[in-house]
Amino acid sequence: MTCADFQRVLPYIIETGGKAEEERHLRECPICSDLVQDLRYIAEQAKLLVPMEDPSPRVWNGIKGSLEREGMIKPARARGRLLGPIPWMAALGAMILVSFGAFLVERGRQQQPGAQLDEQPPVVRAVSLNTIATEQDDEQLLQHVAAARPASSRAYESNLKQVNASIAEAKKTLQQDPDDGDARQSLHRAYGQKAMIYEMATRSLP
Amino acid sequence: MIGRERPRWLAGAMKMQNTIRTALGLVAVVALAIPAAAAEKKEFRYNVAPGTSVTVVNDYGSVRVRASQARQVVVTATASSSKVEVVSAHNANRVEVRTHFLQKAGESDGRVEYDIQVPADANVIVRTATGPVLVQGVNGDVSVDADTGKVEVRDSNGHVRARTVSGPITLANLKDSFVEATSVGGQVMLNNVAGKNVSVNTTGGPIAFAGDFAGGGQYSLSSHSGTIDVTLPASASVDVTAHSVTGSVENDFPLNPPAHPTMALAQGKSLAGTSNAGASSVHLRTFSGRIRVKKQ
Repeated sequence: MTCADFQRVLPYIIETGGKAEEERHLRECPICSDLVQDLRYIAEQAKLLVPMEDPSPRVWNGIKGSLEREGMIKPARARGRLLGPIPWMAALGAMILVSFGAFLVERGRQQQPGAQLDEQPPVVRAVSLNTIATEQDDEQLLQHVAAARPASSRAYESNLKQVNASIAEAKKTLQQDPDDGDARQSLHRAYGQKAMIYEMATRSLP
Repeated sequence: MIGRERPRWLAGAMKMQNTIRTALGLVAVVALAIPAAAAEKKEFRYNVAPGTSVTVVNDYGSVRVRASQARQVVVTATASSSKVEVVSAHNANRVEVRTHFLQKAGESDGRVEYDIQVPADANVIVRTATGPVLVQGVNGDVSVDADTGKVEVRDSNGHVRARTVSGPITLANLKDSFVEATSVGGQVMLNNVAGKNVSVNTTGGPIAFAGDFAGGGQYSLSSHSGTIDVTLPASASVDVTAHSVTGSVENDFPLNPPAHPTMALAQGKSLAGTSNAGASSVHLRTFSGRIRVKKQ
């Protein structure tokens, strides 16, 4: 067995111990023996680090400054411009996700037999954190409203459509001019309105 | 005498007519008795401490909450049928009134009308679907959610939050308030609303504000495609900015141009200026809706 063969299966050896052939190589090869010893030491020390608190932001800023000075990373411009619309769109998406999550919880509860008359614990369903409310989610929400509050069903349908149109409109403008702060605010508000629709649709009524 | 005697056929017909009249009368009595029996009225009274929260959850009927001098919460509830009942509870500083469906019911037979009196310092939370809501004279925190129901909050000076999907919102005579009004498609009207923070947001619902923007507060009115109409007196002390991304901005209120503009001004799409000391900050924003500022 060569050192390369041994090191290829190193993680497995550290975790569970090796086969006879690997054990023999470890005993005979001082390089691999030292490597395993070092790795085990690091693993032990790493366990002790777990309860420690995160370094303060000053430490991270220091590291960032060093990396910038050494040319490893580019200095950040104005934060909003550098990041573009994606992070805050994700934040807005998260707002909708929260409401959507509430919707799933509520729907899960209502699917319990006799849920309306007897208080049942909510059934928490898995929600993907990588998606914001899609057309399918909207459809499910409208089905939920139609079943739970038929008198409000039409209002939800038309207003959800209106909000989706406003989101599309603001997005289109923002794509044409990413620096348009007012369009960005409009998009922000439109997402807020959509989140409100989800929240209103899932709130508890008789 | 013989000449005055009724013919036999006429007497028979009259007898028949009396029988029919009696029968119709009985039917009428029964018809009146059915709704009288179905519409059940209940009253609950609770002695409450200052700052009590009153929560009302109702799907279809109206909810009227008014402040009274007494330190009592008085709930009068009228259910439209036996398919619904009213559940009310008082725990510590909390009164909860809720419509409870015993059977499946729609808008007509699931309706409960609430008339509630609360101390002026009470906090009020109302959640409805289609029923109209009126909260009057309450100075605690007020939160009203409705789907299509009309929401009206007046004569208050607490924190007011009103949200609807398409129901219109009317806020009137609110002083020193913290106001949040949000509707997707409903109209939002504010008359003499003043406070440190007044925020209105709609998607397509029009916004109308009439008042002097008093209190040196921050006023933010925004809509995506709805119109914004602001009517203010010459005495208003405001610092106004308005902008529409693709809509228009019209103004006939005399404003002094800002010394240090904070936004690029485009003719017909934005405006900025102050009046008097510019005590209150007023932001008007739409995406495509028309903004109009008018002198009262």
